[in-house]
Amino acid sequence: MARHPETDLVPYLRGELAPAERERVARHLEECPDCKQDTELLRDLIGNLAHFVGQPPEVNWARYRAELHEKLEARRARIAWWRQPTPLALSASIAGVLLFLAVWGGRELTKTPDTIGPDEIVMAQDLGLLQELPTVERLDLLEDFEVLRNLDGLASDHQG
Amino acid sequence: MEPSDEALCERVARRDEAAFDLLVSRYQERAYRLAWSILRNAEDARDVSQEALIRLYETAGSFRGRSKFSTWFYRILVNLCLDHKRKHKWWKLWVRDDDDDRSNTILDRQPAPVNDPVDKLSREETLKALGSAVDRLAPRQRAAVLLRVQEDMATYDIARVLKCSEATVRVHLHRALATLKKTVEKR
Repeated sequence: MARHPETDLVPYLRGELAPAERERVARHLEECPDCKQDTELLRDLIGNLAHFVGQPPEVNWARYRAELHEKLEARRARIAWWRQPTPLALSASIAGVLLFLAVWGGRELTKTPDTIGPDEIVMAQDLGLLQELPTVERLDLLEDFEVLRNLDGLASDHQG
Repeated sequence: MEPSDEALCERVARRDEAAFDLLVSRYQERAYRLAWSILRNAEDARDVSQEALIRLYETAGSFRGRSKFSTWFYRILVNLCLDHKRKHKWWKLWVRDDDDDRSNTILDRQPAPVNDPVDKLSREETLKALGSAVDRLAPRQRAAVLLRVQEDMATYDIARVLKCSEATVRVHLHRALATLKKTVEKR
């Protein structure tokens, strides 16, 4: 038996299928009791669903239309306000300011940063000292010798 | 002879207020009923259907006549309803919807009751369950079912309203009705 034409059953009941499709579904229903039963259930369900869905609460249609026209007027007024010269000029000014900020900010961002800052200049001046590094190291050593030489004095100071 | 909806829409595009009023009087009830069926809230249905009519006024010039006017208008309306449901979904999770009309519609609006009290009870329970099942359908499935059963729209037109293929509409209808059928069979 061919596949069950599940999704074709609703269009079949409404008579929407093309003749060949309709024929195929009808033939299937003759051979398949399950699909035939399903089709009957669907027919009842579709027929009764409108009742199940029910009716909405009553509406005062004159008031409904009055509200509708009020809303439409409000919408028109809002659109008209935007089309007035003042809001247009205001929008144009804001757009201009934003554009200026965007361009100016962009330029600031694209500026190349200073490669040598004041700290670096000071450090560069001190570079000469580094050239004398062996001497400086030796000075540290001499300083250490001085401490050693005065070690007795330090000890007496500590005791006193 | 009465002017067609399409002819009236052309006149609305030229800002003919009388044509707009005529279209409103033709579609206000259908728009409100369909919006209510999807949203299940009278106030929301009134607002959304009015918004759809305002959009009709504003965008009448974009109606090209490729489809029926009703299909074009229902597309605006159903999209607004689905958008409304999407936007309010998170809110309804937190706030109990006391204004929701679903609790008293299914039973209150049924035809004359059956005489046998047992039958009546069983029927009422089935209707209640079915009503809840309709409410629980996915929004697009529900819209497809309502367009079919309330507006008696063809699959082709439902597809144009929901902006999807006819095959997708068939799947929506099949799944929705299968869910509802199960609800009936359980009873």
